Amino acid sequence: MRMRRHSGSESDGEAGIDLAPMLDFVMNLLIFFIITAVFVKEVGFSLSRPAASAQSTPQQEKKDSKTLYIVLHNGGEVSIDKRPIDVRAVRANVERFKAESPEGPVIVVANSKSPTGLLVQVMDQVRLGGVLNVSIASTGG
Amino acid sequence: MSVRRKHHEEEGHAEIDLAPMLDFIMNLLIFFIITTSFVKQTGVKVTQEEAYTAEYKENGNILIAIRPNGDVWMDRRRVTLPEVRATIERMHAERPEDTVIITADKAAENGVLVKVMDQVRAGGIESVSLATLPQGG
Repeated sequence: MRMRRHSGSESDGEAGIDLAPMLDFVMNLLIFFIITAVFVKEVGFSLSRPAASAQSTPQQEKKDSKTLYIVLHNGGEVSIDKRPIDVRAVRANVERFKAESPEGPVIVVANSKSPTGLLVQVMDQVRLGGVLNVSIASTGG
Repeated sequence: MSVRRKHHEEEGHAEIDLAPMLDFIMNLLIFFIITTSFVKQTGVKVTQEEAYTAEYKENGNILIAIRPNGDVWMDRRRVTLPEVRATIERMHAERPEDTVIITADKAAENGVLVKVMDQVRAGGIESVSLATLPQGG
């Protein structure tokens, strides 16, 4: 036995590093990363705040015809230019606005008590209408 | 010598060669290390609104939940608005490429949403998204 260990063929084998402990360690690391890997599949919209130049009170905004303001009221009503409309009619309004002024920004003015579900519906309609860049402003403290 | 060598080689060939397996495991390991994102889960479940035009958000690793009663949750605990900013600043320093996804309940108020948004932007992350459910998906 001892003789064999000192023989040429045995020393060939012993020259390599023993991989088993390293393999154990790597396997543990692998299992750790597999278990902790979480693949988030959240989908949604980008939210942005109005640019500083566009930020003004809704009363002043009426004169500025180049910006479309969609107001969400506390009770869940939607209005454009003080005209109450249905959520599903937002898309048609946005399409018309986009045809008139293609570069005009769309700002959703959400009353602070209005539900976010309504905001999502309105933003969805605006995006369906072809305007992907929607800003959100809040009123009413 | 020849007898001894033959005996030894038979012993050696009886074992499986570990090198290809090790290569494969190393590749798997590197894949999982690279794709691991360490998502900051919120710890609460909210009901989201459906939307047609929702899109997948890259690097959306910081989740902030807003419950119907106005509570804000992030990193598995309830936080106040100033804490949102502080937490975002810390997370932004750790991983600057992470973006924020707000999972607001559809009954939550927009006022809270806008306040949280402003806190996140004050904390240094400009890219904020509002999570929705993909419609019909």
